[in-house]
Amino acid sequence: MSRIPIEVIVNGVAQRAEVPARRLLADFLRDDLFLTGTKRGCETGVCGACSVLLDGEVVKSCLSLAVQADGHEVTTVEGLAAGEDLHPLQEAFAEHGGFQCGYCTPGMLMAAIAILHETPSPTEAEVRAGLSGNLCRCTGYVGIVESIMAAAEKMRGT
Amino acid sequence: MRDVDYLRPETVAEASALLAELGEGGRLIAGGTALLLALRQRMVAPTHLVSLARVGGLRGITYDPRDGLRIGALTTHSALARSAVVRAHYPVLADMAGRLADPQVRNQGTLGGNLCYADPTTDPPTCLAALDARLVLGSARGDRSLPVTEFLVDYFTTALHPDEILTGIRLPPPRFDLGHHARFHRTAAEHRPLINLTLLARRDGDTVAEARLVVGATTVVPTRVAAAEAFLAGRAVTAAVAREAADIVADAVEPLSDLRGTAAFRRDMLRVMARRSIERLMPPGMEGREVA
Amino acid sequence: MTTEARLDGAASTIGRPTPPLNAREKLTGRALYAADFKMPGMLHLKVLRSPHAHARIVSVDTAAARALPGVHAVLCGEDTPDRLTGVHRKQHRILATSKVRFVGEEVVAVAAIDEETARDALDLVRVAYEPLPLVRSMDEALRPGAAEVHENTGNLSIEYNVERGDVDAAFAGAALVHEATYETTPQYPGYLEPMATVAWVDGDGRLVVRTSTQSVFLQRNRYADALGLPVSAVRVIQATVGGAFGGKVVEECNSLICAWMAHRLGRPVSFVNSRLDDFLGARSSPAERITLRMGVDAEGHIIAKEVRILADCGAYEGLATHVLQVSLVRSDNMHRHLRNVRSNGRLAFTNHPPRGAVRGFGGPQAAFALNSHMTEMAQALGIDSVDFMKRNAVRAGDTSVHGFELGSAGLAECFDQVSEAIGWAAKRERPRDRGTKRRGIGFAGAIHVSGNREMGNWDGSIVTARVTADGRVTLSTGESDMGQGAYTMLAQCCASELGIPVSRVTVLPTDTDLSPYGHGSIASRVTILAGNAAIRAGRAIRGRLLALASEVLGVPEGDLTIAGGEIYATSTSPNRRLTFGELSRLHLYRHGGEELRVTATYDPPTFLAMSRPDQYGNVAPGYSFAAQAVEVEVDTETGQVEILATVVSDDCGRALNPLAVHGQTCGAAAMGIGWALYEEMKFEDCRLLNGNLADYTMPTAGSLPHIRSEIVESMEPNGPYGAKGASETAMLPGAAAIANAVHDAVGVRIRELPITPEKILAGLRARASADAAPGASHA
Repeated sequence: MSRIPIEVIVNGVAQRAEVPARRLLADFLRDDLFLTGTKRGCETGVCGACSVLLDGEVVKSCLSLAVQADGHEVTTVEGLAAGEDLHPLQEAFAEHGGFQCGYCTPGMLMAAIAILHETPSPTEAEVRAGLSGNLCRCTGYVGIVESIMAAAEKMRGT
Repeated sequence: MRDVDYLRPETVAEASALLAELGEGGRLIAGGTALLLALRQRMVAPTHLVSLARVGGLRGITYDPRDGLRIGALTTHSALARSAVVRAHYPVLADMAGRLADPQVRNQGTLGGNLCYADPTTDPPTCLAALDARLVLGSARGDRSLPVTEFLVDYFTTALHPDEILTGIRLPPPRFDLGHHARFHRTAAEHRPLINLTLLARRDGDTVAEARLVVGATTVVPTRVAAAEAFLAGRAVTAAVAREAADIVADAVEPLSDLRGTAAFRRDMLRVMARRSIERLMPPGMEGREVA
Repeated sequence: MTTEARLDGAASTIGRPTPPLNAREKLTGRALYAADFKMPGMLHLKVLRSPHAHARIVSVDTAAARALPGVHAVLCGEDTPDRLTGVHRKQHRILATSKVRFVGEEVVAVAAIDEETARDALDLVRVAYEPLPLVRSMDEALRPGAAEVHENTGNLSIEYNVERGDVDAAFAGAALVHEATYETTPQYPGYLEPMATVAWVDGDGRLVVRTSTQSVFLQRNRYADALGLPVSAVRVIQATVGGAFGGKVVEECNSLICAWMAHRLGRPVSFVNSRLDDFLGARSSPAERITLRMGVDAEGHIIAKEVRILADCGAYEGLATHVLQVSLVRSDNMHRHLRNVRSNGRLAFTNHPPRGAVRGFGGPQAAFALNSHMTEMAQALGIDSVDFMKRNAVRAGDTSVHGFELGSAGLAECFDQVSEAIGWAAKRERPRDRGTKRRGIGFAGAIHVSGNREMGNWDGSIVTARVTADGRVTLSTGESDMGQGAYTMLAQCCASELGIPVSRVTVLPTDTDLSPYGHGSIASRVTILAGNAAIRAGRAIRGRLLALASEVLGVPEGDLTIAGGEIYATSTSPNRRLTFGELSRLHLYRHGGEELRVTATYDPPTFLAMSRPDQYGNVAPGYSFAAQAVEVEVDTETGQVEILATVVSDDCGRALNPLAVHGQTCGAAAMGIGWALYEEMKFEDCRLLNGNLADYTMPTAGSLPHIRSEIVESMEPNGPYGAKGASETAMLPGAAAIANAVHDAVGVRIRELPITPEKILAGLRARASADAAPGASHA
């Protein structure tokens, strides 16, 4: 078994580790860095609960090996709030029914960040299309879509 | 996933030499989105993963009016969708890439990886076949190139030699001025297209001067329907013409039949899709319109 | 949905949108689910599942697996306690012995140092099977001479017969009698968190199980039963639950196998289902074939009903017996004029994976059949379907045919709300679409219980409240929060009695060692039962605080004001203000003092109907109702159905927390839409072919419309501030509303779920060829 040295910046902190090649990025975050906010919900790349940002773009960390993140920057749900101050999306998810059980939530937040990064004033249809890589069984997506629309407004400062 | 070693060559020649040495045990990894699925379910179990991440020259998109488009094999779907030159000169390709799978897969998955995995139920092969794409295959022995239609051989099978690496995709300069890539999902909740179809056309006044029509996802490899192309050439698109052309398409293709859809259902849907695509291209009685 | 919710909680009171108490931990990724826990020396468990639907286990060779470095145990059925467990009938052993009854049944369990090693070990286990004849379907199961899934059962799990009134006479006198048969398919619960458990043995030899569950106490009893331990030797702690939808009560096997392995090895063991595991191991809802025969009188009143159901419970019956009972009779209680009912329900064992509890618990199956049927009858009668449904809707004060006493019933109001919101009055008049895409509108209604007296003649709930020395209130309950907002609701109830913001209340995670007993979060029981208990606890605390303050301040209780976590004399000024913290300390630190802690119980005035041979009686303190309107557009060339708009109205008595009620309604409606249009478990010879989220397609954001949620507040007299359950009812009407809308759009009646493009196209072709036939005509 080869262990491969990697350097990854995770939530702004440089992390060095030696990982087996078969270690998924999701498992590296969860098991090696104890960042268990990133979830695993399927093996088929469909549920999106494992979504993180890689160099600012949303990806599924269960479809990546940890070694593939070598030299890159990863942001997880734990990296969103600034200390005690929640990210506007986190606040909106609380206030607009954006989550219930919370299991899809870390991935939803990451997908939402990507949506608003690409389209600061999205339509509802654009938000729904941007969530096509994430499943939720609790909310019917209504609260999630409303949360993202509300956060967009807040983040635009209108 | 079974235990595996991970190698990071820095040149195509080095990667090729590793593949030659490892034989069946070696497997290239680009974005990894498709391969990881197979690895995690233990459907494939290579001893070594050969990463292309450090190999130079496999990224970037360049356009030249005479030579056409060159796409590095490691170009992600989202990079393709965002590329200004692709959007300007091959809007059908940019649109296809921008709606592929989901945002995460578009950010992670590469065009080269998609082609090498040779999963029949994806969009790029169909679209690239319609655009006359040629694929550049590199190895320690040198380069060769193949049309994408010859590269894709069967389910999850390509014409790649064991030591070869897909390094780039080449498209000739665009010669069609209208186009559309359509995908049919059986229900709105399904993730993979049951059928896809790329239709390109060059217009001469009210008539179609030349058409290109390729069907995929419902056949093992993309299927060009030359009979329909010939039928459309020189005709103005009317409802009747669209219907007749769609019948030609539906009859020409031998659809797959599986859990996701029977052959009969796929053929019926292909007929509807083909007709709608043709109508959309040039609505009867109206000027054809540019498709963004 | 409203935007008044505030994260700080200061503004929250009853009836105001209130974010979940645990919002911060869930939004920052710090909520701990069962798969997030690590213990020193923890092993990882994986199971080998049967590849056969019915086979004798000839031999199990585990030698190679045991020899693999890192493997600690490779155990099979013979290693498990020789005990059978089950809800109704005891027939399930922890791992299969002698034979397997479904594809996916757990045969061998491996514990190893990590998951991948455990997976590697499974690949080395060799099991020899001798295939047995399959019981492929419920029809085949009950044929004479069929192979048996369980010996000496004739493959009949249970049969129910209910008869009230004079059914034959009522049918004879009916103005219209209509009979039709409907079929439903199983639905996978689809919680985003696959089952996960970590279990260990503590220093005193007690088994501790931390798991994703709807009911820690029912699970504790089950583990104790399966392992032959006294219940006091087992502790179950609820981890944060990533959704459950009925699938995490007492049927899943992940936690049981994990508990057994930890107990056997004496080491911490983690068992995290992969999604593929979860599909194979989870209980989906039973497939049912429902034949309805209903008679109406000249006024359009339903006066006679005959229900025959054959249901497939798969290889083990679990809770499916109860599910069938619900499908069979509960919806009868929606019809206010009905007095004549005859029902026969049979549940068959097959070699399909076991079926059991899923959100709605038999209600969705019945609601699909009933509302489809009622719409057909309304058409035959020439009356508006909404009018027909309303005309037959029970009202507050009614006692229904099976003895349900309705203190509140907003079904008719739900229909009014949804028909108004969908624009029915105008749209029913519009010309019918003739083009390729045709629009149609459909309606359906439903009833559900809030609580259900069926276990040990107690359907109560207990809440313990305690005031901490710093003046916070801590609540403890045996019921579970799976994300539906139960804990926030309890905090609201208690806080409102004490005049403090919910942010001053903590609800402790459920733990059998520390929490008062509770049946758990099933049967939409928590709001009405635990909510009442929380109110009682709040009032008891309030009483203690006021009595003590009166003593300290020398002011009669009647002259005290309690607000903002303080108590003070209302009439004298300037006066001394006593904080809850001060009072809590004064309550303890004095001669004979004690901690300020109360335990309050609410057991509703309901009846154990199952104790009577005819099962008649008022089983629940309240009954929730819902109605749904759906506008679809059907593509007549592709058979695809697009939902253009949908409105769901839920009579939840009173919305204690509208944010949570809307959330439940939208989620339930989405699950109903998924069941109707998108989700289909496909089997070949009883083998699940699409057990993954790529091929079993649950609704995505893009495949759903904006679901509009409305609330009817019927003020349930038994409810806490008038509230009833609000989590399952909205799951029930969707499938029929869609089927009715499809029929309205294109004239095709789909009686078998799911409503697929292929079925719609086949229906359109059948209509076209009927039209083309000589002499064809239709109404």
